Amino acid sequence: MRELPEVNVPLVAASLQVFLAEELRASGLSAYVVGLSGGVDSAVAAALAATAVGPQRVVCLALPVAASNPESLEHARRVAGAFSLQLEVLDLSEPARVLAAALAAEGDRLRLGNMAARLRMIALFDRARRVGGLVLGTSNKSEILLGYSTLFGDSAASVNPLGDLWKSHIFPLARHLGVPAPVVDKPPSADLWPGQTDAGELGFDYADADPILYWHHERGMDRQSLVGLGFPAPLVDAVLLAYRRSRFKWRPTVVARLSASCVNVDRILPRNPER
Amino acid sequence: MIARAREAGADLVVFPELSVTGYLLAHGVHELAMEADDPRLEPLREASRALSLVVGVPLRLAGGGIANAALLLEGGEVRGAHAKLYLPTYGMFDEGRYFVPGRLLQAVASSLGTFGILVCEDAWHLSSAVLLARQEVDAFLVVAGGPTELDAGAQAAGARRWHAIVTAMAATLVTPVCFVNRCGWEEGVMFGGGSWAVDASGAGLVEPAPPLAESLLVATLSRDAVRHHRSLHPIPQAERLDLWRAEVERDDA
Repeated sequence: MRELPEVNVPLVAASLQVFLAEELRASGLSAYVVGLSGGVDSAVAAALAATAVGPQRVVCLALPVAASNPESLEHARRVAGAFSLQLEVLDLSEPARVLAAALAAEGDRLRLGNMAARLRMIALFDRARRVGGLVLGTSNKSEILLGYSTLFGDSAASVNPLGDLWKSHIFPLARHLGVPAPVVDKPPSADLWPGQTDAGELGFDYADADPILYWHHERGMDRQSLVGLGFPAPLVDAVLLAYRRSRFKWRPTVVARLSASCVNVDRILPRNPER
Repeated sequence: MIARAREAGADLVVFPELSVTGYLLAHGVHELAMEADDPRLEPLREASRALSLVVGVPLRLAGGGIANAALLLEGGEVRGAHAKLYLPTYGMFDEGRYFVPGRLLQAVASSLGTFGILVCEDAWHLSSAVLLARQEVDAFLVVAGGPTELDAGAQAAGARRWHAIVTAMAATLVTPVCFVNRCGWEEGVMFGGGSWAVDASGAGLVEPAPPLAESLLVATLSRDAVRHHRSLHPIPQAERLDLWRAEVERDDA
């Protein structure tokens, strides 16, 4: 079986810290805003930002809804404490309830989950506007390739340091940065309804999926070659199905091109021309 | 950086590819392209009265089009230029969309000696350096904007690849190489840094620069050492151009 190659974790950490410092400088803004979910991805993003620009320039929000596991808030507090971050708790249960009623979504946990993710996005971008900040993304490469995110919800961000890092590499990076062990060691979960886990929804663990994604997406191996290497066929099929179905989430909204100056098609321009 | 180099006693300062404007410009190159007498280059022209400079600019060509160029500035004026020959347009690269390729491979004469300037991808075509070596250059100046990935290695992967090229170029053409690479982040892309200088045997003259921070490396190139190496290892002089000619003729046929 082919493995996922390792990375030099300290070099990755140092590189991403320089990236975050540079992006904030180039934007001319003053802070990063990050939603601390209590999970490992947002903990790593916040830790990188804290070490890159200083904890006083990282605004952390915990944004629970009624369905959130209370342990998540406790873990968010532990992460904030570990990196000297100020954590503000904004309970979104009532806005989520009102929205669910208005849209007649009660009882539909997938729609409710998406609503919660998008309400968090609204809160984060609103806070970013208030403090003059950039919303820090927390989606990792595995989630992006599998489409395991809510479009314009948790996938919405100004800057994402983790989007080209496999989930399997997030864990050693978290340990290197000093993220509290209970946050690193618990099963990954979007925590959008009680008992939800990423593996339960996806049907496989990241540890099993990441090598398949790596050898397919990065090294160009097709299904037959992957199965020939010893990856179980049902697992390969499940991973590649999610990979193919999620591509619409990878790129910005498609714009109908009507001129010879269509943005991002005919005119690709640096984001910060004064950087 | 120029002031620091001057304090360190440097005669020549070499900057990376597109050092004046940044590398990942995409269509922004049209806003930033300049001619050799552009007023924006005046501070650099002025600085070149004290020491020679090689800088990277998007160079507006008289007949239209923009070249990815390296300019040699000396004595307050532009004394030479090399327009990048090979514009990578694959993977993350899209240079063929924004630039036109250079058409000449000509060594650049400086008050300090004759330099073979190669811009990044030019050096990935080994023939570029072989042909320049025929012009008896004193040193290669390889100016790059080389991105990198991170793997399990202690160095950025891109810098490791570059060091292999630089070492081979120096050792096989028995010519010192100054390799100067962009570092840090631009538009979400990490550049590998690792700038370095090697002598005519491929041995390092300084410790390579780190991947993430701008650095000033000072290296001393010795003509005597080059002559000595070339006497013991007359490899470039033995280049079999008849094989090249036969290949060109076969291709033409």
